[in-house]
Amino acid sequence: MYAPLLANRYLTSRIIPFIAVAAVALCVALVIIVVSVMSGFLDMVRESGKTLIGDVVVSRDITGIPYYEELIRDIEALPEAEAASPIIETYGLLQMPYGTSDGGSSIETVQVWGIDPATLDRVTEYRGKLYWAKPTDEAARTMLPDDPRLDPMYQRQAEGFALATAEGQPGLVTGIEISPFNRRTTDGSYRTESPLGKQDAGFFLPNTSGATLTLVPVTDRGSLGGEKKRRFAIVNEFQSGVYQIDAQRVLAPIAVVQEMLRLDRAPIVSPDELDENGRPKVVGESPARATTIVVKAAAGVSPARLRDAVNACYSQFVDRKLGERGLRVLPPPMVSVATWEERLADLIGPVQKEREMMRILFSIVYVVCAALVLAIFWAIVQEKTRDIGILRAVGASRVGVLWIFLRYGLLIGVVGSMLGVLLAWGIVARLNDIHDLLGMPAATWLKVLAWVACAGGLALTVRGLVRASALHTVFWFFATVALVAIGVALTLHRGFLVWDPSVYYFSRIPTRIDLFTATTTMVGGIVFSVIGAAIPAARAADTDPVKSLRYE
Amino acid sequence: MTMLLAAEHVKKTYRLGKVAVPVLRDASMTVAEGEWVSIVGSSGSGKSTLLHLLGGLDRPDADSGPIRFNGADLRAFGPARQNHYRNRDVGFVFQFYHLLPELTVLENAMLPALVGLSRLRWLGERSALRDRTAELLKTCGLSHRLGHRPAELSGGERQRVAIARALINEPKVLLADEPTGNLDVRTGSGILDLLAERQAAGLTLVMVTHDESVAARAHRRVRIADGAVEH
Repeated sequence: MYAPLLANRYLTSRIIPFIAVAAVALCVALVIIVVSVMSGFLDMVRESGKTLIGDVVVSRDITGIPYYEELIRDIEALPEAEAASPIIETYGLLQMPYGTSDGGSSIETVQVWGIDPATLDRVTEYRGKLYWAKPTDEAARTMLPDDPRLDPMYQRQAEGFALATAEGQPGLVTGIEISPFNRRTTDGSYRTESPLGKQDAGFFLPNTSGATLTLVPVTDRGSLGGEKKRRFAIVNEFQSGVYQIDAQRVLAPIAVVQEMLRLDRAPIVSPDELDENGRPKVVGESPARATTIVVKAAAGVSPARLRDAVNACYSQFVDRKLGERGLRVLPPPMVSVATWEERLADLIGPVQKEREMMRILFSIVYVVCAALVLAIFWAIVQEKTRDIGILRAVGASRVGVLWIFLRYGLLIGVVGSMLGVLLAWGIVARLNDIHDLLGMPAATWLKVLAWVACAGGLALTVRGLVRASALHTVFWFFATVALVAIGVALTLHRGFLVWDPSVYYFSRIPTRIDLFTATTTMVGGIVFSVIGAAIPAARAADTDPVKSLRYE
Repeated sequence: MTMLLAAEHVKKTYRLGKVAVPVLRDASMTVAEGEWVSIVGSSGSGKSTLLHLLGGLDRPDADSGPIRFNGADLRAFGPARQNHYRNRDVGFVFQFYHLLPELTVLENAMLPALVGLSRLRWLGERSALRDRTAELLKTCGLSHRLGHRPAELSGGERQRVAIARALINEPKVLLADEPTGNLDVRTGSGILDLLAERQAAGLTLVMVTHDESVAARAHRRVRIADGAVEH
């Protein structure tokens, strides 16, 4: 019965157990924070990738897949598929309606997706990615009062979903990071600001005169056709969460893009024969094409299973088309059919490798932490050697003595690990706020507070000197040095960006705790604490009581 | 009188690295039940070592003679029996008190009783044990110090707590190693009075001291020199 009493007293009556608890908590928090951010980053890459392109992607080069509507019908008839949508992927030049410093127009290279919003919405929830939309009542409650989306003028979901103005003119939906007038705030929402940095509705959806999109058609022999220019109104902006996409991609109606790239339905004329009007004779029809078909799996169907089903479906489709008579254009015998993970392997692979590397590196850190805990416990048990002798002298068994320190280690491990998890949770949950704070110059009150604290530290150092107290003098001297360093850092701090969205793909740092890592790290913290306590305690329990009693 | 403790040609050698240091060469002595025996001798003569061997804190050499308690050879005790012997049959009082600094006076005094209690029995006997310990401490003149820590006590008070701790399990024999060696004469005298009271009540007392005046209060003196008991 003495073991719990002593274990609790040892824990609460000395400073060193608190140092051990702090060491365990910091080790646990460190590992959880790093691995959570890395895992969250990987999850975000995977989820964003999946929500952007569905489960399976059928694709071909810029010459496109003919008879894609028919193929989509075949795919949608598969029990493994829920929906499919055609896309044309190409690159183009976007001339924005705002000028450059020399009076010209700003022209950017963009990735153009010609889409069919209605079917794409069934595959990737396109509607939900339109940024300027009326928020739900629940979302509206969490928004800042000055969020433009609360203003009906900014609610352009209908236009964005139709990819057309209210008057029916074809429109573009651009990535939210393309317009330089969109400024991301600390809560992740956007404001439209004038070049002077003032919120200004005049710069919303750069709508002064529309944007001009230039595309260059490519023939199936690889030669370039003449460039095609077309003016569009920007009808909405989208936010995928992946910076590279939000900063580069432009969505346009598929029919318009097909027409500009000459991938639309068109007659095939004979180079030699003329009709009765003296024009080249029409001998057939070239079908409309799409370069990509994105497919969503039915509930419970894995992307790999869907991929195999789509592959088989395409083979049957080709066989059927080859059997049709009079076709002037035949579908290619092979197209690429890949799951979203295979398609994004170049994006996901490096992140996976980085996470594994982090795990290995932090495993080493973890071993160092374990050694630290062991060292602290060694000191604790060493300090208690005489107590062990006393306990043995009054009849305590070796196992009983060992149990005291195992309980002690267990208590420190449990308390430290739980605090570590709480600390990690607190930091991970507020990581973006912390990052945003680092991105801004320090508040004046904070700088003043730091320098007042410096003055206080200096005064206490002098007080220690006057009272001839070495402990107070040394403690407050180093505390003052640390406070001065903080004061200087805060004064010089102009804000810096650690998480650069253009490097890390996402505009926000992942803030989800990796539960598996949290659990294993917590258990690891407890186990290391118990082992750290058990080894020196076993050594002490083995010592003769007489030797322990003589220990000084 | 019944013989309670007996050491017969006991030997004890300590090893300091490769050097063997014989501390007890041939120590024999007996202690009868209810007797007060003082072991006297100069520093390094082996008197504390003999006390530790009598109390089961240490083991004699392999070629040593036996140490008997109520006729049973301590050398034959297994770990559990040896722990029981230290917990129930003997009580120790040390020169430097050896109290646990984190525990209160009451907790220190009841420590041997706690060692012998399971959690279940503790729940049943907690209140009675506290009362018994408080009563014992009261007889040691410490009723006003129950909640204090050892650091808050004087040397004499600490030694009284150590005596209460040694007596809490009502052992048959109390082994005291220089119990007044760290106290002034007046305080030491008070401690001896306390021990004498207990001895008069039937407790067997073996006390190591180098102070002849302290030893003079015992019924019998055993002198030890160069590791051997002089007869």
